[in-house]
Amino acid sequence: MERWVVVTVVIAAYLALTLTIGLLAGRRPTHSVAGYVAADRSFGLVVMYFVTGATVFSAFAFLGGPGWAYSRGGAAFYILAYGALGMAPFYWMGPRAAALGRRFGYVTQAQLVVGRFPSRGLSALIAVLSLIAFVPYITLQMRGAGIVIEAVTDGNVPLWLGALISYGIVIVYVLAAGAMAVGWTNVFQGVLMVVIAWSLGLYLPYRLYGGVDEMFERIADARPDLLTPPGLTAAGEPWSWGAYSTFVLVSVVGLMMWPHLFMKAFTARDDDTMRRTVILFPTFQLFLIPVFLIGFAGVLFPGRPPSADFILPFMILETDLPAIIVGLFCAGALSATMSTGDALLHASASVFVEDGVTKFVEMDDRAQRLLMRVIVLLTGAVAYYFALDPGSSLVLLLASAYGIVSQLAPPVVAAMYWKRATTSGVVAGLVWGSGTAMFFYFNPELRPLDMHEGILGLLVHVPVLVLTSLLTQPQDEDHLGGFFS
Amino acid sequence: MSLRAARALTVGYFVLALIFVTWPGLVPFARIRPLVLGLPFSMAWIASWVAGSAVVLYLLDRVEGRHRARPPGRRAEGDPGAGPRGEAGRARLEERD
Repeated sequence: MERWVVVTVVIAAYLALTLTIGLLAGRRPTHSVAGYVAADRSFGLVVMYFVTGATVFSAFAFLGGPGWAYSRGGAAFYILAYGALGMAPFYWMGPRAAALGRRFGYVTQAQLVVGRFPSRGLSALIAVLSLIAFVPYITLQMRGAGIVIEAVTDGNVPLWLGALISYGIVIVYVLAAGAMAVGWTNVFQGVLMVVIAWSLGLYLPYRLYGGVDEMFERIADARPDLLTPPGLTAAGEPWSWGAYSTFVLVSVVGLMMWPHLFMKAFTARDDDTMRRTVILFPTFQLFLIPVFLIGFAGVLFPGRPPSADFILPFMILETDLPAIIVGLFCAGALSATMSTGDALLHASASVFVEDGVTKFVEMDDRAQRLLMRVIVLLTGAVAYYFALDPGSSLVLLLASAYGIVSQLAPPVVAAMYWKRATTSGVVAGLVWGSGTAMFFYFNPELRPLDMHEGILGLLVHVPVLVLTSLLTQPQDEDHLGGFFS
Repeated sequence: MSLRAARALTVGYFVLALIFVTWPGLVPFARIRPLVLGLPFSMAWIASWVAGSAVVLYLLDRVEGRHRARPPGRRAEGDPGAGPRGEAGRARLEERD
């Protein structure tokens, strides 16, 4: 039997298993918005651990990580640097957000902000910003799935079909079961990601160079420029410390503010579960080490993939691994994209409906859930349309997504921790911060010290929030009581 | 250890971690040799800050756990000190923040 046929069978089995898990999970939650969006706040430690890990690490980490290590060397280390830092504040913020969620019935991050700073405009603004950040992210995941499937089936399953089938399945289980399905499929996908990354990442250097030491010794002789941060730019020039450091910083701030991640605070069963998830998260994150090893293994390998993002499937196919292993690797990569994509689709619908629509139109629980499902389909369709366009520079769009998402941090932190913050302050900060970030995104040559536009946005955002708040009437004590009691 | 000290140490660790995995703290460690467990030094350096954060958070949790007064039959609410105060001596008010 030809290799691509075996590979396709393994992928099909993986997809079937994912779908089954998703649909079985869907039989459990109650038929309510809290059930669909927050899984009735029922996730235990094991589920939360893999949900968090699998959701944070996407196609960007699994395909982009080796791609960066391969072409940009030490620049890739920024991906390793930010995760634990971004997750740690959640040890305190998570339980606090969850307590407010239980008290006031919040299921999204914007509800928390707007609960403290009542303003329909603010709610809509957060919804719009979230969606602007979500669409390129989902598109990237779909494209990742398509790329992997096309590469490992020798082109017999083209990108459009691979992306369509894998995301068709994601959409089916997200529609059927919401957060519950996202959670349980992510457990399966998270395990697969970790196992495959570690086994492949250690295997390739041994197979090709006789060991990890030997591999790096040889790279150190031939390409020493690749082994130290800040590494190289995409064009192969030395990258700046300013850019490297602010990429870490914006990712730290952005990581905890991604709405699809923040919302997980509302799905945990209890606070201990959430805290332990935060404690254990760095152990999941270390799977980036073998992921980078895969990329570094390609550096001195004869032959070149069509682009750096293809280095992972390229290495797998070029080292004559048995077809079944290729299939399993592919399942791991698909897990990475699908486990993030499902959470994103689910969150974009939840945010759009809860924060965008219901603030302006009266809707009952049933109608809300129906509308969310429609939005899941629509977002999926829009992202799919962009995923097929090879001309769209999505990686850049995703980098800009972090710039936008990081602007959600000051409002969220102010809502939970700063009594003196006012609605006008938060709105003004958000408008100025996002405006600044967008300005520097479109005018990269004007950035001081090559800094990331999200950080420049925050440098304007925070002072504006603080000053405007201090200049406006404080919120009254009765209102604050609910938040700070 | 008091809760306040544990929290200060934890925050301190993460501030140091941020400094040492970016400019300027990373600059002296941005080197290839010696290889550590086969990895370039800078990569192992960053990875050990990551691994260390699991340890620091675990230790913090042990201290927080001891201070989280929790009478039987009730789950802890959000922040420490906000919940009902069992074992009265333990949950000191100044530890709320």
